[in-house]
Amino acid sequence: MGGTVQASRTPDWLLRGEPGLCRCGPAGIRRKGSFVEKTLTGGADLLRQVMFSEEIAGRPGLLQRLDPRLKAVSLVVLLVAVGLVHHVGTLVACYALTLLLATASRLPLAFFIKRVWLFIPIFSGIVVLPATLSIVTPGEVVLPLWHWHGAPQGFTAQGLTSAALVISRVATSVSLVVLLTLTTPWTRLLAALRALGVPRIFILIIGMAYRYVFLLLGVVTEMYEARKARTVRARRNDRAARGFVAASAGALFGRAGHLSEEVHLAMVARGYRGSPRTLHAFRLRAADAVAAVVVLAAAVTIYGGDVLVGR
Amino acid sequence: MDGSEPGADDLVFSCRDLRYAYLGRFPALDGVSLDVHKGEKVALLGPNGCGKSTLLKILDGLIFPDGGTFTAFGQPVTEDNLEDEQFSAGFRSRVGFVFQNSDAQVFSPTVREEIAFGCLQLGLPTGETAARVDDVLAMLGIADLAERAPFQLSGGQKKRVAIASVLVMNPEVLLFDEPTAALDPRTQAWLIELIADLSAAGKTIVLATHDLDALDVIADRCVVFAEDHTVSRVGTPQQVLTDRELLLRANLIHERSRVAL
Repeated sequence: MGGTVQASRTPDWLLRGEPGLCRCGPAGIRRKGSFVEKTLTGGADLLRQVMFSEEIAGRPGLLQRLDPRLKAVSLVVLLVAVGLVHHVGTLVACYALTLLLATASRLPLAFFIKRVWLFIPIFSGIVVLPATLSIVTPGEVVLPLWHWHGAPQGFTAQGLTSAALVISRVATSVSLVVLLTLTTPWTRLLAALRALGVPRIFILIIGMAYRYVFLLLGVVTEMYEARKARTVRARRNDRAARGFVAASAGALFGRAGHLSEEVHLAMVARGYRGSPRTLHAFRLRAADAVAAVVVLAAAVTIYGGDVLVGR
Repeated sequence: MDGSEPGADDLVFSCRDLRYAYLGRFPALDGVSLDVHKGEKVALLGPNGCGKSTLLKILDGLIFPDGGTFTAFGQPVTEDNLEDEQFSAGFRSRVGFVFQNSDAQVFSPTVREEIAFGCLQLGLPTGETAARVDDVLAMLGIADLAERAPFQLSGGQKKRVAIASVLVMNPEVLLFDEPTAALDPRTQAWLIELIADLSAAGKTIVLATHDLDALDVIADRCVVFAEDHTVSRVGTPQQVLTDRELLLRANLIHERSRVAL
């Protein structure tokens, strides 16, 4: 009887076969994915990278063996030392040292180099580019580009030296940070920051944000896939994509709000009253003490060496 | 009709004429009364949106009724009472809640920290917490997941972690919101056995479920909600499962459904 009721409510067109809005064969027209698809693919790649990074952080390498607190403090010491260096040669030597450490920590060298150099041309390169020109940094023009009142204008030796200094400093500093993040599991890094005095609530929020960003990324990907599965013919790909972004941002905002309420209730249910307590299990070993001495010696050598180079 | 069973002395929860409406407009509970006794397994049955989850949240002191009274272990549970540190710590350590959405419950960076969270909040020393965490990890067979991040876990693994995070506090009462929903058959069977084991160990269990197949294992008493947010029937699993009219009315089965007894 139920089946009869169901059938009587089913529209006729649903009971008939549909020839399809288009033929299934190829027509030779290709359409590139929209910016949304590229962004989501990027998000999925990020997730894969994080998984890969966690695997790297678990390898038995040199830096993986050290206490995360020591590594965090060492990073700050070495960043200060690198920041005080004024000669490209010293910085290049420091950068070479980071490559050596990466190899000793069993990091894939190509992955490490790519991760460091991928963003440097975009961020630092664009910033320092004007400084290489004679109109910003006057000096000896080594590569003339145009003439102004008869005087050659273009890249100056002084400008290029300054740019090289900035870029090598950024590359070395970023390499040091990447060394830390690739050789320390995220959770251990957070716990180390907590042990070093970073407020608990800050660590809790960062940890939860990191945890839920992947969940929300999954939600967005599912929303996009559901839309894509029902998209028969998209005439203006990017226009539709912008509409999708606006709609999904609103939907995601609502879901994130609901989720945050649920998470809060789950925390309250287990006794959370606004002051989180966390589990710590750090123990400094002899290797950490040796590493601390080595880092201090390295920092002094970097700075001292640079001063000597300058004389 | 209410969910009270007369004649028992060891009352854990007592709800009288509970009323609750979301935003003051959308009713979720309309005059619900229920007693839960020590060591009982109570199943809340009913269609989606009938108020089962809302009742569980009230029983866990997460939301508070607009009308009626709720007492736990002989004390009224109100927003004001739960602001008292001692009352709150006592109540939270005695009542554990496993949420339906494990993603909301598993919020810490690692499984180990997630399981330790409750004990640490309630002031248990770190050493004892760590030992309890190891015991629960071993008991639920998830020791290999201890250092994993939640996004690396499957749905079944997240459910185990969520249960572990509550069991580690050793509560007297366990509340489960649709525990077997969206789990594969093996994990469902494991969870049903676990609930039976916990009950055998003396825990009081209140759960919201649509799972009629396992009802006789996971419940001693069933409270059936109607779509009008009231309790329409209280009885043993046998009594409820043999009342086909009731199951149809409560939208728990379809006309063509067969109920295994």
